[in-house]
Amino acid sequence: MPVFSSSEELLHVMKTLWEAIKADPTMSSQLIDSRLVGQFQFREPDGIITIDCSDGQNFKIIVGPTDIKPVIEMSMKSDIAHEFWLGRISIPVALLTGKIVSKGPTPKALALLPIIRPAYSMYPKILEAARKNVLVNS
Amino acid sequence: MQPFQFQSPTKLFFGEYTAASAYESLKELGSSNPLIVTDANLVKAGILEPILEAFPKNGSGSPVIFDDVPMDSDLHSVQNAVNLARAKKCDGILACGGGSVLDTAKAVNICLTYGGNLLDYQGLNNLPTKLLPLVAIPTTAGTGSEVSLVAMIKDSDEGKKLLFGSRFLAPDLAILDPQMTVSLPARLTAATGLDALTHAIESYVALAVSPISDALCLEAMRLLFKSLERATTDGGDIEARSDCLVASTMAGLAFTNSGVGIVHALAHATGARYGTHHGATNAVFLPFGMEFNLEAAAERFATAARYLRISTNTDDQKAAKDLIEAVRNLILKVNLPLSLKDLGVPEFKNGDLEELAMLASTDAAIMFNPKESTQEDIVAIYTRAY
Repeated sequence: MPVFSSSEELLHVMKTLWEAIKADPTMSSQLIDSRLVGQFQFREPDGIITIDCSDGQNFKIIVGPTDIKPVIEMSMKSDIAHEFWLGRISIPVALLTGKIVSKGPTPKALALLPIIRPAYSMYPKILEAARKNVLVNS
Repeated sequence: MQPFQFQSPTKLFFGEYTAASAYESLKELGSSNPLIVTDANLVKAGILEPILEAFPKNGSGSPVIFDDVPMDSDLHSVQNAVNLARAKKCDGILACGGGSVLDTAKAVNICLTYGGNLLDYQGLNNLPTKLLPLVAIPTTAGTGSEVSLVAMIKDSDEGKKLLFGSRFLAPDLAILDPQMTVSLPARLTAATGLDALTHAIESYVALAVSPISDALCLEAMRLLFKSLERATTDGGDIEARSDCLVASTMAGLAFTNSGVGIVHALAHATGARYGTHHGATNAVFLPFGMEFNLEAAAERFATAARYLRISTNTDDQKAAKDLIEAVRNLILKVNLPLSLKDLGVPEFKNGDLEELAMLASTDAAIMFNPKESTQEDIVAIYTRAY
């Protein structure tokens, strides 16, 4: 059974996580400096999140389909994304074993992994809060 | 045991003079008019003759040969080969050469199969379907490209390397004919052999190891320690050539499944900055990279040292150091440099080390290293290796 019960839950968690990364000055400044536009395409349940740092000044988080052309696309099962943010799965190994499909300059994206590592510790709290929120609202 | 995955879509065929069977094998795979991707020097030296003789002489024209592959395969070369293959209606590829030739052939196969722009297929696991038949005949024993799932292509205009990786990229068949490697000069034999040894040693301690890759790495190391010096000093020693060729393929199978590490990252950065030979650069960094990894990999290095009968020491640290010493001795025996200075790298100026450290620390290979490294660690290795 997938970790996320719906696309709404998945996207809410991922959006909240990226907003937390954006709010962290160390992580966000390095990502903005990279000028990377990365798109994460999730399946089971489905969802798309795009991170746009292309102008070197702003950190945009776009939820859902967009006309922005990503430099790199990474597609994976939502469960793989969950495992990654828990620090249980290595992206390079997931790429090597075919669990993640990357389109574009993969090494450029891999180079950013150490930057977002502090977000691993944020993720469980964000997930827990999102689930409580769902329970409260249901 | 940790869960693991191991794949190899490539059939192997080893034997002296087996290269002559390439056309027959391609026909069995469904290609009767393959593009031959090779190196002009191999054509000039007549090394391709046994392969070409097997092609039909039915008046429909001679085999279609593309031999304009640069030392580092690049986009222009790929496009020129694709244009030729399309004009001649080729339906498969025979790649005969070193790593650059084999990588070029893989990239050509992407364009020939799908059409469109090669850049659209940059990435990992990003190819949708099986490609046209590809048979690879390595003429060096080092890169492992004949069984690897990746291709690196240089974008000379942008000054960067493009990475393509997919199980569909692996050749359908690799023909390992030691006769095809006998004319390789001593220095290249040594350098490519050290590339293979680096694959075997780094893969043995990399993040995605498995019992399957372990076995391949250990045996590849054994064959290389046994025969690389002989293959270097006597290029005509077919037994030694065979050992090196098979070891290189075994190490290629291992690293394509378990990854490499910091030595490759340092060598990629150095090669990009100074144009040094990949294998010889790996040789310089291998002992230093192993020393850096001792903390995380002493037990594995020690196991390898005992398997290779390099050490009988029961203390892992000491046995691991015996392996590093044996690597240094092998490099000396095959007359390769042990320092960056001897490799021809100019003295570092202000900012050079930082730039190299940045390049190395963002190289994909380093992501599989068993021990994490800081920029300071990398600068320290560069300084010691100089």
